[in-house]
Amino acid sequence: MGIKTAKRTTNTRMPASRSAVSAHTSIADALFTATQQRVLALLFGQPQRSFFTQQLIELAGAGRGAVQRELERLQQSGLIVRITQGNQKHYQANPSSPVFAELCGIAAKLLSPADTLREALSVLANKVQLALLYGSAANHRDTSHSDFDVLLVSDELALEEVYEALTPAEKKLGRPINPTLYTHAEFHKRLEQRNPFLIKLLTGETISLIGNKDDFIATG
Amino acid sequence: MVRSGRVRLKDAQNTALSLESRFDLAYNAAHALSLAALRWHGYRSENRYQVFQCLTHTLQLPPTQWRVLDQAHRKRNLAEYEGDLDVDEALVEALLRVALTVADRVIALGPVPSA
Repeated sequence: MGIKTAKRTTNTRMPASRSAVSAHTSIADALFTATQQRVLALLFGQPQRSFFTQQLIELAGAGRGAVQRELERLQQSGLIVRITQGNQKHYQANPSSPVFAELCGIAAKLLSPADTLREALSVLANKVQLALLYGSAANHRDTSHSDFDVLLVSDELALEEVYEALTPAEKKLGRPINPTLYTHAEFHKRLEQRNPFLIKLLTGETISLIGNKDDFIATG
Repeated sequence: MVRSGRVRLKDAQNTALSLESRFDLAYNAAHALSLAALRWHGYRSENRYQVFQCLTHTLQLPPTQWRVLDQAHRKRNLAEYEGDLDVDEALVEALLRVALTVADRVIALGPVPSA
């Protein structure tokens, strides 16, 4: 369709690429370094799961040394626990640390809101062909006043069902979710007419919640 | 007020009209009917948003339906004040369902109780 889409690789957007005096520092950037954000997102975003070191390095997409330093500090403070299995070291969030629940909340709200949204939308997965998080939350410039903007494409869903499914995620995230629901026909008609809203959305940063933007556009 | 709301609601269901016009009609129908519900309870308001917000109390409207009105209201403001109206079928259809619910419930309230 000739639409240039900015491909989003794993969390490689560094705060350093932004102006130091940017008026829109995200909450996560104000609190944590980029590596801390990724490590905390994994460990406290999925607190029931244990990860081995290599896994964390790969999933975080950060440098080995930086990840290992974070793990060391987190483990020494008792925020996470290390389990040694043979010669493998596993790390997991420590549920008995006094701030366990708070860190899980921070991970869900700030560090991996897309996972929170994905989980909420999973009940609609067989009715939705595309769901994208766009806007400030997708390009990590969201502040405590930002909504989560979500575009959904489905021929079967009613808007009320979308709000219903998103209610638990809204409670978890503590911020409103603003869904836009298109039918396939509407999506493609807007694409053809180069509707400014849709074009801006698709050429900007997006995070896939269901389906894949490029495949969806290509297959029509 | 109920009559004017129902007339517009009926016209909003006319698929021969443009989606934008149907949106306007459905939005205004929902507003007139919601205001009627507020009046029935003996209150008045010139703030559209508050009239919708009160529906959970005046007509026990479910939160998901209120969210539809919330989105419609924001779209309507963008159109009125920024000249930027971009409505989709899902919103218009949801808005119609909400307006119909509001119409049914406001009629079910019956005549305004005399003081």
